[in-house]
Amino acid sequence: MTKKIYLDYAATTPVDPRVKKAMEPYFTEKFGNTMSLHSFGQEAKVVLEESREVVADLINAKPSEIIFTGSATESNNLAIKGIALANKHKGKHIIISSIEHPCVLESSQWLKTQGFNITKAGVDKYGRVDPENIAKTIREDTILVSIIHASNEIGTIQPIEKIGKICKEKRVLFHTDAAQSFGKIPINVNKMNIDLLTASSHKMYGPKGAALLFIRDGVKIEPILHGGGQESGLRSSTINVPAIIGFAKACEIAQKEMGKEGERLTKLRNKLIKQVLKIKGSHLNGPPSHKSTDGQSHPTKRLPNNANFRFDFIEGESMVIQLDLKGIAASTGSACSSIKLEPSHVLLAIGLKPEQAHGSLRISLGKWTTEKEINYLLKVLPKIVKQLRSISPFGK
Amino acid sequence: MFKSNNKKACPEDIRLSSVEALSRRVIIAMSGGVDSSVAAALLKRAGFDVVGVHMKFWSEGKKSGNKCCTPESEKRARQVAKKLSIPFYVFNFEKEFKKRIVDYFLKTEKQGKTPNPCVICNKEIKFGLLLEKALKLNADFIATGHYARSQLSGAEWKLLKGKDKNKDQSYFLWQLNQKQLKHILFPVGNYTKTEVRKLAKKFKLPTANTQESQEVCFINTEIHPVKSGRAGVPLKAGQFNRVNYFLRKYLKTKPGDIVDTRGKILGKHQGLWFYTIGQRKGIGIAAENPYYVLRKDIKKNELIITQNKKDLLQKELVVKSVNWISGVKPKLPIKVNTKIRYRSPSASAIVRQSGNKIKVIFKKPQRAITPGQSVVFYAGGELLGGGIIPN
Repeated sequence: MTKKIYLDYAATTPVDPRVKKAMEPYFTEKFGNTMSLHSFGQEAKVVLEESREVVADLINAKPSEIIFTGSATESNNLAIKGIALANKHKGKHIIISSIEHPCVLESSQWLKTQGFNITKAGVDKYGRVDPENIAKTIREDTILVSIIHASNEIGTIQPIEKIGKICKEKRVLFHTDAAQSFGKIPINVNKMNIDLLTASSHKMYGPKGAALLFIRDGVKIEPILHGGGQESGLRSSTINVPAIIGFAKACEIAQKEMGKEGERLTKLRNKLIKQVLKIKGSHLNGPPSHKSTDGQSHPTKRLPNNANFRFDFIEGESMVIQLDLKGIAASTGSACSSIKLEPSHVLLAIGLKPEQAHGSLRISLGKWTTEKEINYLLKVLPKIVKQLRSISPFGK
Repeated sequence: MFKSNNKKACPEDIRLSSVEALSRRVIIAMSGGVDSSVAAALLKRAGFDVVGVHMKFWSEGKKSGNKCCTPESEKRARQVAKKLSIPFYVFNFEKEFKKRIVDYFLKTEKQGKTPNPCVICNKEIKFGLLLEKALKLNADFIATGHYARSQLSGAEWKLLKGKDKNKDQSYFLWQLNQKQLKHILFPVGNYTKTEVRKLAKKFKLPTANTQESQEVCFINTEIHPVKSGRAGVPLKAGQFNRVNYFLRKYLKTKPGDIVDTRGKILGKHQGLWFYTIGQRKGIGIAAENPYYVLRKDIKKNELIITQNKKDLLQKELVVKSVNWISGVKPKLPIKVNTKIRYRSPSASAIVRQSGNKIKVIFKKPQRAITPGQSVVFYAGGELLGGGIIPN
């Protein structure tokens, strides 16, 4: 097989050619700065606001509630730190889950040094946060609850609507990091009682360098970047018009195609899971895709494109490299494994032992994943697992 | 392509061509330096399925990192891999390196000895962990940029000195065994450093002009920038003072007496680990004739020094943790050439069984035999094995 197979859509996605086409004029012809008074600037300002409408529409928000940023990391930083700083007179307690993305974990960690208290809500073996537990954890001085919508590693979709309802009743602000779910499954910020939501363009076939933070009207938040006052003063920076145009186009496409594509991927993913679990000593991490004996399962509780496995006695890193050498791009349970040594905090949070967490493999599917590609993976993977198991540790 | 001055087919070339290179996978450890970069290029040229790997080791303080694996060197290794169109991966061995190398280094220093961390790193990390990983990646071989050679003789893998006498690194490889050698290639072993630099230029590798790294790789030169001596923190022979800064940070100080051979107290030392046998500079005892570090008495925490250079001479030593590359102890006694440290000249000796101990008896007495260092045995260009000099 000469063509490479990309099965790491959760890390980033290729840009949809339709998105690329929509962006093209905004580099050399319509390159204006939205803050300029002249026609170039006006043109940029118009398309920026049109983009805001398209993007807002995907989550049933008002355009005025959308702030464009440069990345999901930036949006999460703005949400967590911005809410904390604007509401510290009301209280200094924040609740997050134990399976958040590092940018939420680290932002909270930083807030600790500023005198805030952070509670990490645990998850069950499928990675689910219990809304009742959140209700119990909310205190008098709780100002914010931030729970990731869908796990980037194991695909678990949280009961966001329930958690949102609890927060609403208790008058606590609710933020969700929807970087993985946005554009893949329907989101309605009103129905789901969400006050702040993070989403990113490059996870849904838009370009890198564009993301958003939805901030419900009336929610007080402090900016982190100060300057020219763009984005209602909440995110000073020259507007990255081409990236935002691309982001909006990706949203427009997702609006139309999300439903069918979700069904297609779910089917393909379920086949993958079914076949991989036939390998001896293999396990699925995260929620089951089919009905399991304990009745916990529901297909809507896992992202349609995510599968995460572990194989007894095997390191994920070796598997990923072996697959790469065969032209298949996948990922270990923990992203950035070359930088970080620690086993994935998400896999540890669902109760895996460190050695089990090191043995995991994340396969994330996307728009251009074909059945043929999945078949090739299914042909290659069992051999790699077998080979890796056949090697006893050397020289010990 | 580059032609060696050596007209005859050399062992390394035989090795590279004797194994069916095509479709045999070899994992090359790429530090980003010129030696391993050229090694990778040579393997690629020979037709191997080459996979580049950069190992991350532990270092003191996070910023500039271990000298063998700074972000800068990783970047260079990556560039070389790209240039050669080979896959490239980074393995993070920080934890294991700290445990198996740095902790060993500190433990040995604390015992008053002078360890060779590179010897242990070769055994435990490069030809230990990395080899394990390589086999998991379905590789037939691992390769490094060491100046050494290996050759199959009958059913036995022999480890030979590198062609470049001045750069030969076989000293650091005495702990290898047959099981490991079977899977190891040393592509630059049959070239001199000058030739390797020329090859780097010829292959247009982005590392051609990189500097040599010689100090202990995990000691951060930015944290301990001092090169010259300073009161109370003496220089170690052949090492920069920063080693002692490192030791002071992790082992603290443990003051004791400096005495002469008759036990007369001459002064105070700050900790035995700041000194090494044979050291002259930095003892801090003023006298007309210079003093040398003769011995360390760990129990009494005394540093024994002498003005008589002859006291430093020793005719024989008992060697511990002996390894024979062949895997079999040869019939003893055996006449060998030895090296008692990496940069010491070769010395003729007899290795002899003495009860259940193995002794090395030198033809000429050797100066400053240092506990913790490796003594290795050669027969001509072949490395037979070695051992560690005990206290």
